[in-house]
Amino acid sequence: MVRVELEDVWFRYLSRGRWVLKGVSVSVENNELLVITGPNGSGKTTLLKIISLIYEPSKGDVLVDQKKFWELSDSKKTLIRRKITYVHEKPVLLKGSVLYNVAYGLTLRGYEKEEAFKRSEEILKELGLEARASVNAQELSIGEAQLVALARALVLNPEILVLDEPFAHLDARKREILINLLKEKHEKGVGMVISSHQSDYLKNLNISKTINLEDGKVVQAH
Amino acid sequence: MLTAETLNTVLRSIYVSGAATLISLTWSIPASYYLALRGRSRILETIVETLVGMPTVLLGLLLYFILSSSGPLAPLKLLYTPQAIIIGESILVTPLIISASYRLLRSTIRKFSELALSLGASKTQTMLLVLRETTSGITASAIMGFSRAIGELGVAMMVGGNISGHTRVLTTAIALGVARGEFEEAVFLGIILLIMTITITVALKYLSKAYEEWYA
Repeated sequence: MVRVELEDVWFRYLSRGRWVLKGVSVSVENNELLVITGPNGSGKTTLLKIISLIYEPSKGDVLVDQKKFWELSDSKKTLIRRKITYVHEKPVLLKGSVLYNVAYGLTLRGYEKEEAFKRSEEILKELGLEARASVNAQELSIGEAQLVALARALVLNPEILVLDEPFAHLDARKREILINLLKEKHEKGVGMVISSHQSDYLKNLNISKTINLEDGKVVQAH
Repeated sequence: MLTAETLNTVLRSIYVSGAATLISLTWSIPASYYLALRGRSRILETIVETLVGMPTVLLGLLLYFILSSSGPLAPLKLLYTPQAIIIGESILVTPLIISASYRLLRSTIRKFSELALSLGASKTQTMLLVLRETTSGITASAIMGFSRAIGELGVAMMVGGNISGHTRVLTTAIALGVARGEFEEAVFLGIILLIMTITITVALKYLSKAYEEWYA
């Protein structure tokens, strides 16, 4: 189990730049599905990266299991980060095959190459991408690249999965595959944070909380 | 004609410029990485880019004063040695390598660092990922550095002295050929220099690509 809590979090990219987040407080844990909505530039992606423990807030606290995350040692931070996986809206794939990309996170965790590839092949099959395993990742369409990035996250079995606009580049068939897979993972207890313009796609999922961001502030939460 | 002396000059050129580039890489790449991590700094960018265009004769002159018998490093007795040329050229190519690598790293470092962190990489794993993903770009920076080093004349002439069999490199040999009116010899050496630079560039690019394919 893992619980991430943001307490009065403020964020800006430059020391004297404009505030991108202004006093946001939110929490998420296993079994929960938090949906973040809001217009472009409202701070959704920044908030997701703070929840994913990638960005350190300029002000405010991030508590993981009631401990201040950014005060922990580097090794403890790495161990905690391995429970939470973030997937970019614009997929970032590495040079190499699709299989290599999906297996990459597992190799970081010390898995042998054979085992990492075996697990990666299984997740690619679930997403209907098994035929693309040996293809160079740089040659994929944006929709396929997004699914590969999702496969790379799912194969790690995170306790909390953070998805930035996961349906943005998917066609109807791929979207359906993904929604079914997310539903299955959520039912198994995986916590999720999803930012999406198209909340209709999420209606089949059991949403715990929705927050609406506007200009870096939570204007609505239910 | 390709005499033993010419061959020695060619090999010496490769050794001196290769060593200067490798030495420069040891500080230029970490410096580029550090600068890219710090975020954009227009002042630093301007300083580095200005130093890229530093006249080699000026650098040679400065080094000459430092290494000469009345200079602060006189006891090292480096003046008119291949080592003096290596030092000079490693300084000369540093701004060029930093400038090229920094531009590349600045545009990719955040993207790959975030990816590595999101997949649970440690600090070392994150750095290795960024370096791996930028191998071809870093190699291109190194090739630029090597090409600049092997083609420069000012430093090699000022602190090397163009001593036959000791510090003569291709560029100083070409300059000497022209000064003596031996244009045929100068053109021949120029062609060798050109072929050598192209061959080494292609070979390094091929090796970099082969490494990336092997790694994946």
